[in-house]
Amino acid sequence: MAPTAGLTRATFAKLSPHPYLLANLEPSSDDVPPARSNGRAPNEVRPPTVNSSSLSHAHGSAVVRMGDTTVICGVRGETILTSNIPSFRASNNETELREYDLLVPNIELATGCAPQFLPGGPPTTLAQTLSTRIYSLLHSSKVINPDNLRIWHTGAEGMTANEDRMEDDAPDAIEGEKVVAAYWVLYIDIFFISFDGNPFDAAWAATMAALRDTKLPRAWYDADREMVISSRKESIPITITNIPIACTAVVFTGKETDRPSVDGKFWMLVDPDRLEESLCDESVTIVVDCKDGDTRILSISKHGGTVLTPTLLTSKQFLSWAGKRWEEFNLAIVQP
Amino acid sequence: MAPSAEPAAELSHLPKADGSATFSYGGYSVVAAVNGPVEAQRRDENAFEALVDVIVRPAAGVGGTRERQLESLLQAALRQLIPVRDYPRCVIQITLQVAETPENAYVNTKLVQASLNLPIIPALLHAAILAILTAAIPLKAIAAATVIAIPDDNTDVIVDPTAVEADRARSLHVLSFTSQDELLLSESEGSFTIDEWTKILELGQRICCQHQQPGLDTAMAGGSHESRSIKEFIRSVIEAKTADDLYWK
Repeated sequence: MAPTAGLTRATFAKLSPHPYLLANLEPSSDDVPPARSNGRAPNEVRPPTVNSSSLSHAHGSAVVRMGDTTVICGVRGETILTSNIPSFRASNNETELREYDLLVPNIELATGCAPQFLPGGPPTTLAQTLSTRIYSLLHSSKVINPDNLRIWHTGAEGMTANEDRMEDDAPDAIEGEKVVAAYWVLYIDIFFISFDGNPFDAAWAATMAALRDTKLPRAWYDADREMVISSRKESIPITITNIPIACTAVVFTGKETDRPSVDGKFWMLVDPDRLEESLCDESVTIVVDCKDGDTRILSISKHGGTVLTPTLLTSKQFLSWAGKRWEEFNLAIVQP
Repeated sequence: MAPSAEPAAELSHLPKADGSATFSYGGYSVVAAVNGPVEAQRRDENAFEALVDVIVRPAAGVGGTRERQLESLLQAALRQLIPVRDYPRCVIQITLQVAETPENAYVNTKLVQASLNLPIIPALLHAAILAILTAAIPLKAIAAATVIAIPDDNTDVIVDPTAVEADRARSLHVLSFTSQDELLLSESEGSFTIDEWTKILELGQRICCQHQQPGLDTAMAGGSHESRSIKEFIRSVIEAKTADDLYWK
């Protein structure tokens, strides 16, 4: 910082955020190392901390914290009888999660978690966009095995399908045959306690940590009462084998305009905070799964600018950063 | 409409809007109307640049979360193409009404769907660009977009997949390049490797920026000849329209 300037850091930041961030990234004297205004290097992330099973009434929950972004995610299971699903087909064992809507994520950006979220009013575009992205990724990444959500029923001995049945739409339990009588529906509620940028990474990590923590009660179909009974004592954890992780970076061009800077200079700021997000147009989010050493990409979303070239998006540096982030998050989620 | 049909466009067909266009391709048909630049409301106005307001309306029902997601993607992309700094305190409103979508007869259609709808993005983007051009709003560049699917059975990639192919694909990619060959937008879902990602980016760039390397058409993967250069198409329809408008001279 120039010692002659009559402005404090906070005033400078508030008056002209762009030059402020630029001055931090490009310090005028050589003995000050370039850093972002939050003190981090451009490729330095905020270390995540994960605390699971913090909610006592949910079947699974987790709090994920990255710097000042704190998200809590609760997973609650409810049962639905297959006879109550209008489009149910017993032969469908591929698209059941999507077709019967067995995963219901919802995001709430709480009032007060950041100044821009005001009480009342419909959910913001950000909240709606995030929930669509989480929903899509939950399905396309296939992290949940549908078998975990099926509640099986074996037809009782000496009973046939059309005997002793008041309604014909009850599960057809033919003698000794196993049928799916009901499903678990997972309500995944994601709640931002504090919001300081990078909402998607935090929300997705919280979802994965909460799902990994989820234990559904043992449930069975009671043919006499025609309902699902679940056990108070026994519970079965959901098997989550892969934990994909989302990594977001924004591109700062150093200019307030939407035009890219003349000399083509730009900074890729990983794990952006709220100030940085508001100053950058372009962002990229990559979701990777590096289990067993081979990297699989589950989603890439890049929009809002033209600075990131295909070469940069396929570069080793970019992908290895995602790989490192995956390791860091997996360690935090698996260990606690 | 057969999915492989040529792209079709109708320009300036809405008399009340400043600019309008209907773009249909691959079973999708989108009506776009552009109004602006007009004065922004006090609470929306930005003293330094124009606000680009994108509204997406689905073919049936009211817009939900997936429409909000499409709006935010398109808004970010179009903001880069329109010189927003030239119109301070203004709003440019772009309304996109989906008129037709290809149907997948193999699955039950649900009215309200929450998941991402990637294959519709090119149709929305092209309709928006044509409508902005007819509204005589300057653009720094135009953009062309394409959809590429990697099928589950590891056969060749499919350019402009049908609804069934898109549904069964292992991964689905939408890429958009500006007329200056810059990557404007890239959305992918599904599971794919780094090698596949590199190939998809190369193929997408070839398709979107076709006119520069006409000789490469034959080298492209199966079915790509269907994908006529959208950039050339936009250019030719606008040229025809301009010639028509100047006919009285």
